[in-house]
Amino acid sequence: MNLSCIIVEDLQVAANYLRKCCERSGSVEVKGHFINVHDALSFLNENSVDLIFLDVEMPGANGFELLDQIAFSPKVILTTSKKDYAYNAFQYNVSDYLMKPFTYQRFLESLQKIQPSNETISTNNGSDHIYIKADGKLIRLNNDSILYIESMGDYVKFVTHDNKKYITHNTIKNLEEKVNKQDFLKVHRSYIVNLHKIDDMRENMLFIKGNEIPVSKANKADVFKRLNII
Amino acid sequence: MNSQSSDKPFIFNEKIDIQCINDLYGDDYVYIEEVFGTVLTEYKMLAENITSSYTSQNIPALKSAVHKIKPIFGFVGLTIIQQQCQDFEDLCQGASSFDLLANDFNELNDNLIKSKSLIEEEKRKLELFNRQHA
Repeated sequence: MNLSCIIVEDLQVAANYLRKCCERSGSVEVKGHFINVHDALSFLNENSVDLIFLDVEMPGANGFELLDQIAFSPKVILTTSKKDYAYNAFQYNVSDYLMKPFTYQRFLESLQKIQPSNETISTNNGSDHIYIKADGKLIRLNNDSILYIESMGDYVKFVTHDNKKYITHNTIKNLEEKVNKQDFLKVHRSYIVNLHKIDDMRENMLFIKGNEIPVSKANKADVFKRLNII
Repeated sequence: MNSQSSDKPFIFNEKIDIQCINDLYGDDYVYIEEVFGTVLTEYKMLAENITSSYTSQNIPALKSAVHKIKPIFGFVGLTIIQQQCQDFEDLCQGASSFDLLANDFNELNDNLIKSKSLIEEEKRKLELFNRQHA
C-alpha cells in the first residue's frame, strides 16, 4: 500500500464498488468511508490521508465545503454523476473526475494522475530564493520578490512584486513543503502567500498589493499566529 | 471484478446493458448479486425522497432526488433509465411551473417502478445461479 484514502460518498453501492477497486489495486488503503461531510471532517481533524474520493452532492454540506475546511491538502478525486463541476474542480485543484459508475480501468487511470509531480523546483526550506522551471528555462526568484503563489489545477502561478506572472507545473501541496516557511504560509488550499507582503486583512481576505487572497477557515488560525499582531 | 469461473454465463434480461455489467464486474456473479441487493436496499429510500419532493411540489428537491437515484441504475446496467433520470433533471432545471413536469414525472415514475421489479427479478435469478455454481 502506498496511498491512504477515505471515501466520502452517501451511496452505499458506489462506496462498496470504490472500496473494491482500491483493494484490487493493491496500492490504496481505505482508512474510512463517510456518508456526509460532517463525519469526514471529524475524521480529518484527527487524521491525515493522501487522497479523498469525494462525492459532491450529499445531504447537508456538499463535497467542496469539506475541501474548504480541511487544514491540509490531500489529492482529491471527485466521484459524481454530474458533469457540471468542472469549474469548481479546477478551483479546488481536483486531480480527476470519475463519473459513476466507472470501470476499474478508468479508476487506475485516475490513480496514475495523482503521482507526485517532479517538475518544478530546486530549493531548500531555509533558502532566500527558489528556482522554477518556466518558459523553457530555470528562473531564479528571490523569496522577497514573490507576492503569492496561486493554484491553477495541475499548474501554479507565481506572482511577483513587479506584477510578473510565472506559470509552472506543480501543486500547492508540493510547494508548501519546499518553500521557506519563515517567509511563506499556505492560507487556502489554492494559495501560498509571502507573509512579509501582506498589506491588510479583512474578515476572510488578505490583500497584497491590490490582490485579494481568500483565507480558508481551516488556515485562519495559522495566519493569525504568524502575523505580528500587537 | 474478480474472475469467477463458471461453465455457463448468466443470461441477463435484455433490458440490462451486458457490456456495462461486464466492464464493471467481469463475470464475478457473486459480487454482481451483492450489487443488485445493495441497489434494491438503496432504491427504497431514494424513491421515497422522489415521491415526497413531488408531493410537496418542490422542483429543486425533486431534481436533487432524481439526481441521487440516477447512478444506482448504472451499477446494474440499466443505462436507459439512468439517461431518463438525467433528462428529467434537465427538464427540472428549466421548468418554470410544476404542472409542466407532471406528464414526464409520471412516465419516469412508472419506469422507476418497472426497473425496481426488473432488478428484483434479476437478483432472484442471480441467487439461484450462484447457488447452482457454488
